[in-house]
Amino acid sequence: MEEKILEVLEEYCEEALSYTGDNMMEEGVIDSFTVINIVSELEDVFDIEIDAKYVVAENFRNKEAIIELVRQLVEE
Amino acid sequence: MQFLSAVFIILWVISFALYYLVPAKRQWIILAVASGLFYVAGTGGIPVGIVLTGAGAYVSGLYVKRSLEAQKAALSAVVEKEQKKAVKLGFERRRRRVQILYFVLSLGILFCTKYMVVILPFLQKAGLTTPYSDVFFARVVMPLGVSFYTLTAISYVVDVGREQCQAQENPVKLFLFLAYFPSITQGPFNRYGKLQREFERDHVFDYERMLFGVQRFVWGAFKKLVIADRINLFVGNVFGSVDGGFPGSIYALAVVLYMIQLYADFSGYMDMALGVSETFDIILPENFKRPYFSKSVAEFWRRWHITLGTWFKDYVMFSFVMSGAGRKIGKAAKKKMPRMGKHVTGILGTMFVWLLTGMWHGRTMSYILWGVYYGVIMCVSLVLESRYGVWKEKLHIKEGKAYAFFAMARTWVIVFAADVLIRSDSLSQAGQIYRALLMDFRLKEGILGVTDFGLSRYGFLLLAATCLLWLAVSVWEEQGKDVRRMLAASPMAVRWCCYYGVVLLLVITGIYGGSYDTAAFLYQSF
Repeated sequence: MEEKILEVLEEYCEEALSYTGDNMMEEGVIDSFTVINIVSELEDVFDIEIDAKYVVAENFRNKEAIIELVRQLVEE
Repeated sequence: MQFLSAVFIILWVISFALYYLVPAKRQWIILAVASGLFYVAGTGGIPVGIVLTGAGAYVSGLYVKRSLEAQKAALSAVVEKEQKKAVKLGFERRRRRVQILYFVLSLGILFCTKYMVVILPFLQKAGLTTPYSDVFFARVVMPLGVSFYTLTAISYVVDVGREQCQAQENPVKLFLFLAYFPSITQGPFNRYGKLQREFERDHVFDYERMLFGVQRFVWGAFKKLVIADRINLFVGNVFGSVDGGFPGSIYALAVVLYMIQLYADFSGYMDMALGVSETFDIILPENFKRPYFSKSVAEFWRRWHITLGTWFKDYVMFSFVMSGAGRKIGKAAKKKMPRMGKHVTGILGTMFVWLLTGMWHGRTMSYILWGVYYGVIMCVSLVLESRYGVWKEKLHIKEGKAYAFFAMARTWVIVFAADVLIRSDSLSQAGQIYRALLMDFRLKEGILGVTDFGLSRYGFLLLAATCLLWLAVSVWEEQGKDVRRMLAASPMAVRWCCYYGVVLLLVITGIYGGSYDTAAFLYQSF
C-alpha cells in the first residue's frame, strides 16, 4: 500500500517525498489543487471515498500522515 | 467603534485591568462583555440578522452534536458492516439537511444585508417600498462585521459536523467566539476549536506579553496613519478626479501606491487586532506573511488574507470537490479526457472560489471580474506548473537571485493589473487607466506633475522614508528574525529611541482629521 501511495505522490508532487517537516500545506509544498488531484487518484487506486472532513492540514502535513490516513480509510 | 478612537482605548484598558483581576475561570466573561459593548457601540444596537445567525449556529451545532451521539449509540448496537453503513448514512443525511438549512438562512441574511444597498433602489423605483420599509432597511443594512460573523458561524457548524470540535452548550460562550471584539470587524477568521482552547486556558498577567501586544498595536497604527492614510491623499485625488485624462505615468504611480496602501491599511489593522488580543494572552492566527515577497500569484494568496483563503479552501473548495456532484464531474472528465480530465474538478473549484472571493470583496461587476481574473491565472499556472521545470531547462534559466527577483516582479505586475480594477470607481474608468498605461504613458509630464495631487515633495520623502523602515522590518522578518525580541534584547538607549521614534512619527506625521476619515479602514467595506 505504502508503495502505491508514494507512486501517487511522486506523480503529483515529487517534493512531498523529500519533505521532512510537518506542515506541507501551510509551507506551500503542496497546494490545494495538488491535494485535489492526489485525493482523486488515491480514491481511484484504493477504491475509497475521502470525505472533505479528512482533507485538512493535519492529514496532509507530510507523506507519513497521508499514508496513515489512507490506511485508516481502507481499514474502515 | 473603531480601534483608533478614545472610546476603544478606554474599553481596552478597563477590560484589560478587569481581565487580570477576576479569577481565571471567569476571564472569558470580561471578554464577552467587552465584545458585546464593542458590537453595540459599533452598530448602534443589536441587529436582528446577527442574532438570528448566532442563534441558528447555536441550535444547529447542538442538533449536530446530539445526532453524532445518537449515531454512535446506534452503531454500537449493529454488527453487520452493511447495516452500519446504512445507519451512518441515515444520520449523515439528517445532519446535512439541518446544516444546509442553516447555511441558506445565514447566507440569505448576509446577502440581504450586503446587497440591500444594490437592491433597494430597484425596489424603490418599482414602487415596492414604503417609508416604513425604507427606515427598516436603512437600519438593517450592513451591521458591523456581518460577513466575518456569518462565515465564522458557518465554519463552526461545519466543524462540529466534521467532529473537529465539540458543540458549545453555553450560548454566551458561542457569542464570544463569533463576535470576539479584536477580530469581529475585519478578521482574522478564527476556527472554533483553536480559539476556544485559547479562551479556556488560564491567563496570567505577563509584562513582556503586554508590552509586545501594545508594541504591535502601535506598529499597526503607524502603518495605518503614517503610510496608508498619507498615500490616500495622492491616490484619492488621482482616482477621484471626474475628468481623469492624466498621463499613464501618474496612474502607474497611483496604482503602485494603492498596492502599498491596501497592504499597510489591512495589515496595520491586523497588527492592531492581534496586538490587542495578545495583551489578553489570546493568540489569533496571522493573516499576512509579507505577501509582496511572493514569487507566484498562488504564493501571494497564501500570504495575503491567509485566513480568508483557508476558509474558502476548507469550506467551499474541498466541500465541492469531495461532494457527490464534484466526484461525478471528476470521473466523467477523467473518462473523456485522460490527460486533462484530472484537473477539471480542481479548475471548477478554483474558479468557483475566486468568483465568491470577488463577490465577498465588493458588490460591483469590477469585483466579479477581479475574481475571475485571479481564478483564470491560478488555474493556468497550476495546470502548467508541471511544465515549468522543462521550460526552464530548455531556456537555460537558473534559479538564482535574479530569477527570484524576476518572479517577484512578475507577481507585482499581475497584482498591479488586478488592483486597477478594484480601485477604479467604474469599469469605464478602469478601461481608461489601462489605455493610459499602455498607450499614453508620458513619463516626463508625470514626473513634473506628481506634486499636483495633494501630496507635497516633503510628503513623498516622508512616505519613502517610512516605507523603507517598514521594508527593513519586513526583510528581517522574512529572514526569520523576531523583531520585537531583537528590540527587547537591544541596549536600553536603542530600545527607547526606537519606541520614541515610532511614537513621535505617529503623532507628528500621522494623517489626522481634515476631510479624510482616519478611522475608515479599507477592508471594512469588503
